[in-house]
Amino acid sequence: MKLNVNGVERSVESLALTSLLVVLREELGITSPKAGCQQGGCGACTVLVDGEARRSCLVPLAAIDGAAVTTVEGLGDPESLSAVQAAFHEGYAAQCGFCTPGFLLATHALLAHTASPTRAEIERALGGHMCRCTGYVKIVEAVEAASGGVR
Amino acid sequence: MKAVGARLPRYDGVAHVTGRTVYVDDVRVPGTLWTKALRSPHLFAAVTKLDTRKAEAMPGVRAVITHADVPTNVYGHLAALGVPADEPLLAEDEVRYRGQPIAAVAAEDEETARAAVDAIEIEYEEREPLLDIRKAFDPDAPKIHPWGPCYSHYGPHDHRRIRKGDIGRAFEQADVVVQGVYRPQAIEHCPIEPQTGLAVPEPSGRLTIYSCTQGMYFSLGVVAAHLQLPLNRLKFVGGTVGGGFGGKVDTATETVCALLALKAKRPVKWRWTREEEFLCSSTRAPWHIEIADALTSDGWILGRKTLTLHDSGAYTRFSSYAVTKHAFHHAGAYTIPNIEFDGYVVFTNRVPTTAMRGFGVTSISFAVEMQMSRNAEVLGLDPFELRLRNASRIGDTTPNLVVLKDPSSVPVIQAMAKEIGVELAAEYRGMTNAPRSGELLPEHLLSSVAQNGKED
Repeated sequence: MKLNVNGVERSVESLALTSLLVVLREELGITSPKAGCQQGGCGACTVLVDGEARRSCLVPLAAIDGAAVTTVEGLGDPESLSAVQAAFHEGYAAQCGFCTPGFLLATHALLAHTASPTRAEIERALGGHMCRCTGYVKIVEAVEAASGGVR
Repeated sequence: MKAVGARLPRYDGVAHVTGRTVYVDDVRVPGTLWTKALRSPHLFAAVTKLDTRKAEAMPGVRAVITHADVPTNVYGHLAALGVPADEPLLAEDEVRYRGQPIAAVAAEDEETARAAVDAIEIEYEEREPLLDIRKAFDPDAPKIHPWGPCYSHYGPHDHRRIRKGDIGRAFEQADVVVQGVYRPQAIEHCPIEPQTGLAVPEPSGRLTIYSCTQGMYFSLGVVAAHLQLPLNRLKFVGGTVGGGFGGKVDTATETVCALLALKAKRPVKWRWTREEEFLCSSTRAPWHIEIADALTSDGWILGRKTLTLHDSGAYTRFSSYAVTKHAFHHAGAYTIPNIEFDGYVVFTNRVPTTAMRGFGVTSISFAVEMQMSRNAEVLGLDPFELRLRNASRIGDTTPNLVVLKDPSSVPVIQAMAKEIGVELAAEYRGMTNAPRSGELLPEHLLSSVAQNGKED
């Protein structure tokens, strides 16, 4: 099967029912999606599949053959952060950082649909993402700071 | 002073937002084996049979370990400080909590490791568990440990004691005695990164251990003690923790990974599942706290009696230290001249409890502040004024007889009143933490109660 991962065409050897999380981490060596719970509960494994935020631990490879997958590695480099990455960094929206990749991608998906979301829309979009450190306030503020800044 | 008050960028912030932070699970070492553990399904049971031969013979299984493979199996997290060892790395003849590890398997992949755990033959003889700390001292309570229901190594005593002043006189002189029972419950730390470790045997004969521990040198010592290896055979790589909150002070995965890596001669990783994190990892302790305060009708606390039962779970870990902190803080932000404190570390068939953000102190702070509000309510006094009256001042002594040099009780209570719009009487508005001009208690109480005491 094939995946376009962060703009690069990749052939994938994993079995059809392997989760996208395992394909990314164990076969392709892309480690930003995290195995926080592996049952769709924490959001730390979230990636974009054809632009939509998806829990990669719940997505079998067979369901997305040929899809475009974006992980945090595909958002921006340290020298050229995306607006969302920059807002999270400058707004102290990460502490331990383990949940951050999922929040970043969920935010990118939200802002691609809704350039200037209300606080309620932000809370709805990020509602399934668990952060144990920050208490969420700085995360929501970072999303507000980034809104309008994403193409 | 460029840093104070400045908004400095986090040193690890760019790595966090670009996915480049390397947590233990992100370390890639070719040929790494996966680990799964056989854990007790019972709260309390004797292990009557343990046979790993079928698991060892399975294709893809590279190592299986039980207690027999651990050079020093029974250890204590605070053994280096003189707290006796009481916890097996892998259970021997008894399991004392649900989720306790008994054996571990390293295999080529996660599925094989899981299947091998299922192939281990084990039989149990279930026993009646003890889950309620209040029943631990009953004569017919289940016997979790041969040495008794509690950790019993506080000098000559089997519990942490403090005696200060003359508690009997304080209660004789009291106008009112107010009692309260407080029971803060267990809390799971719930880091988003589950416990994860990776041990890599190096050609030099050393082991490199990638660890998410919160205490690198502490965990290094724990692993070295179990393996009976000199410290220079172990290299720890860590400092990047995906949330710990105290739960990663325990050394959870590293020793098992190290033993399996030495036996299999391959790198070995163990990443707990979310279920293991919730069901088998340590929690904050639940507590049973009873307080009785001897009060005058105008709001002076003459004396306090406290009985604390700290639920240690099945083993001691850090609980003995937690109860000592609890004892030292049990007067809160206040100074009480006469004190009788008894704190017990009680064993139950729960997961062992451990460090978590001010453990020992948060539980008693909750109880003390509830008690202070209850005291004010019973006496019909303003809760801020009752607190300020008894607040610690410069020169006062804590329960463990530390003389306070700069206590902040008075300004903090005043600030709280101001923030929520409570108008204090002038006498309390103008109060400072300056040393008292006379004795702790007003003159009419001086002759009736002692002013000082000693800890024992």
